[in-house]
Amino acid sequence: MWLPLLGLLIGIGIGSALAVPIPGIYVKYLSVAVLAALDSAFGGIKAILEEKFDGTILLTGFFTNALLAALLAYLGDRLGVDLYLAAVFVFGVRLFQNLAFIRRELFAAWLRKRRFSSAGGEKNG
Amino acid sequence: MKLNKWQLPLTLVFFISGILLVSVLNSLAASYHTRWHQKNQNLVALIQTQEKIIGRLEEDIEKTRTSLARSQEVLAAGKEELQNLQEKLSELKVQAGLVEAIGPGIVITLDDNRKGAEATQAKNPGQFQAGDFLIHDKHILYIVNELRVGGAEAISVNDQRIVTSSDIRCVGPMILVNTTRLAPPYTIKAIGNPDRLGSVLEMQDSEYNILKMAGFPVNLEKKSKVVIPPYKGSYQFTSAQPKEE
Repeated sequence: MWLPLLGLLIGIGIGSALAVPIPGIYVKYLSVAVLAALDSAFGGIKAILEEKFDGTILLTGFFTNALLAALLAYLGDRLGVDLYLAAVFVFGVRLFQNLAFIRRELFAAWLRKRRFSSAGGEKNG
Repeated sequence: MKLNKWQLPLTLVFFISGILLVSVLNSLAASYHTRWHQKNQNLVALIQTQEKIIGRLEEDIEKTRTSLARSQEVLAAGKEELQNLQEKLSELKVQAGLVEAIGPGIVITLDDNRKGAEATQAKNPGQFQAGDFLIHDKHILYIVNELRVGGAEAISVNDQRIVTSSDIRCVGPMILVNTTRLAPPYTIKAIGNPDRLGSVLEMQDSEYNILKMAGFPVNLEKKSKVVIPPYKGSYQFTSAQPKEE
């Protein structure tokens, strides 16, 4: 349960420690890649809650999404169209959907748990 | 062990996400920082440039002031110089005879010896020669020369100023001075020490004395104030040039 969080913290720590200077023009691509990564991460959590988690799909999805998003941004730059907005939009929407699903699932789980516990309490009491 | 199935991939995903997120945030913050830093540097550079310009302008002001002061000095000196030049000019004008001269001096009047001529003609007409009883250019020329010996500073003959280019010559019955025809009686005025001029003129073999002895009606008057008119002709120097220093 805590292993992914630990992974996130270690990643943040390593990122801060390395502090790789990224040239200004690539920051945009990286931002899109970050969105893709977050999307994958929340998608993974959602999959766990749905109990249809597949590590391969998650990893391939993660890398392809991130790369594709970066490529899309790059292509947009070449074409003079803000194509990265499409990636931002898609990932943003999916992030919200995933978060909403996670919230609902967790809330439902919490409610179930409370009901059970209260029911048990009544029994005990 | 069921947990391991999702834990590792998700941990990897979170790990990479974390790295990417922090990198992006860092670089954005850095660019933000550099933007401000850049702006500050630009402003500092601007201020420094302006200060340099101000310094240069102040130097310019200083220079201009110095040059102004120098110009004023030069101007003052120029005024002084101008005054000196004007004084010199008026002095030179007096020397060149271009202005009226007033001062102590003598006045000589000469006339033809008409009485002597008549007497000679009556006594022995055979020996009479009209020329012997007339005032000639030569007489005036000698007298002028003697006046110069006596230190005359300004001379005129019948109000014709004698200057460096003046000629005194004879054309038939007339005498030309400054190419102006003169008729007797002749009045020669000279400014100078009257006594000295008189003594030169009254020397035994002076022209004036010779004329006097010959019976010409000549007269010499020492005066405390003699007025001599200016030279009215022009000086023309076409050949003579000042020697290059």
